[in-house]
Amino acid sequence: MDLRVPSGSFFTLIGLILLGMGAFAPHMGAAPLTTENVNLYSGAAMLVFGLFLLLMAWRATRQEKGSNP
Amino acid sequence: MKLAHVDDVILALYFAFVLGIGWRLRKRISSSGDFLTSGRSVPVWITSLAFIAANLGAVELVGMAGSGAKYGIMTAHFYWLGAIPAMLFMGIFMMPFYYGSKARSVPEYLKMRFDEKTRAFNAFSFAIMTIFSSGISMYALGILLQSVLGWSFDVSVLASAAIVLAYTFLGGLTSAIYNEVLQFLLIVMGFAPLAILSVIKAGGWQGIVARLPPNMTHAWRYMGSPTDNPMGVEIFAMVAGLGFVLSFGYWCTNFLVVQRAMAADSMSAARRTPLIGTLPKMLLPFIVILPGIAALVLSKMNLGYAFPLKATGGPDYDKVLTTLMAQFYPAGLLGVGLTGLMASFMSGMAGNVTAFNTVFTYDIYQSYIRPGAPDRHYLTVGRVTTVVGVLLSIGAAYLCTLFNNIMDLLQLVFGVVNAPLFATFLLGMFWKRTTAHGAFAGLSIGTAAAILTLSTTVAEGNGGWIAHLHTFPSQMAQNFWIAIIAFTTNFVISVVVSGFTTPRTDKDMEGLVYGLTKVPHDATAKWYQRPAPLTVIVVILLLILNIWFR
Repeated sequence: MDLRVPSGSFFTLIGLILLGMGAFAPHMGAAPLTTENVNLYSGAAMLVFGLFLLLMAWRATRQEKGSNP
Repeated sequence: MKLAHVDDVILALYFAFVLGIGWRLRKRISSSGDFLTSGRSVPVWITSLAFIAANLGAVELVGMAGSGAKYGIMTAHFYWLGAIPAMLFMGIFMMPFYYGSKARSVPEYLKMRFDEKTRAFNAFSFAIMTIFSSGISMYALGILLQSVLGWSFDVSVLASAAIVLAYTFLGGLTSAIYNEVLQFLLIVMGFAPLAILSVIKAGGWQGIVARLPPNMTHAWRYMGSPTDNPMGVEIFAMVAGLGFVLSFGYWCTNFLVVQRAMAADSMSAARRTPLIGTLPKMLLPFIVILPGIAALVLSKMNLGYAFPLKATGGPDYDKVLTTLMAQFYPAGLLGVGLTGLMASFMSGMAGNVTAFNTVFTYDIYQSYIRPGAPDRHYLTVGRVTTVVGVLLSIGAAYLCTLFNNIMDLLQLVFGVVNAPLFATFLLGMFWKRTTAHGAFAGLSIGTAAAILTLSTTVAEGNGGWIAHLHTFPSQMAQNFWIAIIAFTTNFVISVVVSGFTTPRTDKDMEGLVYGLTKVPHDATAKWYQRPAPLTVIVVILLLILNIWFR
């Protein structure tokens, strides 16, 4: 098992949830000491990180297939 | 603090992934080696992150934020001084013997190098300590979730233990290690936003420096005298006690972390495991300590954030992290942060459980209870021990609820057991003249010296049960001095007794001692995969950090 697949999927999912919260329910995302849309930014960062891991895993399987035809 | 549905969904998603990883890995287990040592097959980036994640339990995460608020940036010494040099030493100098000896555990290495009695001493004390430390972290988590979220202590303790048991039982060490990496990434992702938000709100590092006394924002400048800095420690005790004895004793000999490196797929990967691990380890203070320092500043800024207090009135440092989360995290990210906290608890507990089952199965059961059985039998014993280990940890957690001070007491005991250990390994690996009797005498008398020091000195009301010969300015100073005394005693006694006893022949010690072991030179490795250039990079970065925060 390539660990990048489950980790990447996990962060992609969490990223999408937070991004959705930030985009569609910004008022729900209020916190006492900040006025920033924290969910939106963190969600975007996690989504990018998750997709990056998945991309690395995908590249690795393609290379493996290439070297062992 | 109240959770929204979305927070519950994130927590549930995390549990599903953790269990899913265990389920997928269950097919890889066909021997006791697969279950207990991962069959030495894990890629290096995974072992490196697991190496630091196994140490990053919930107690550390909560404790480091609290220490940040209590001691300031000096807390970073637990990373920059108290971990990185030891991790480098372990990768460069010690791993060749651990990995090359084919030992399956640290106690087994002691058996190969010395004899049964030193192994037994280490195996039993380690097994007992792992159970108690996973019990302590379980207790701490239960109390935290109870006070912050109003969850039932029993439910949080039992449910989180059940999940850890499920994935370690299914996939053994591999499953624990793979999950530790996911947990580590989640801790970073879940707490980095808190560090960024809280430091910005506190006015950046400049704002923090302007609002705190200078001894909270300098790591080295105020260490000339123990009364000048908030830790109450002078530079010698800090460098020799924490930076050398305790840190090398932990990172180089504690099977909990060493086991992760030993699971790597080659000698070169095993050596690189702690070396690569230093890079994220070096940056962790920015995520785990800075929020604590920022919390102290925020509480002085009239923003509506009050520093958490105990019922008795004093500051409650254990609540710094969670009160800060409540201030900065909206529903959604709050779920991620909380999941990160659960993840840190699980990685710490799984680390303890997988180290315990290996030491029990190989070093206690196979050595003293039933040697010579077929491997299938030891696989079953390993699995049963995993269940028993979790049950014993739960027992230890409930023991903590019965006796209020047991946690402090146990932390002192851990210090005492850990203190003399490094001398035994240092002499064993680098001086071939060290004999088995010398090592055992040194280790037992060194441990006795640690207990004696604790019983005759007092710090913040602790210790001094036999006599009151000296008072330390802080408990930290007491810990560091106990370590220095225990190490020196062990070193001297081991050398003297070795001088009077017959050493083993060189041939018996091939692969176990420096000078009699060929460290393979991996000619195919690229420059960044070799230990030396990697170490140089780490040392340069470490110096920059220390000079920056001097």
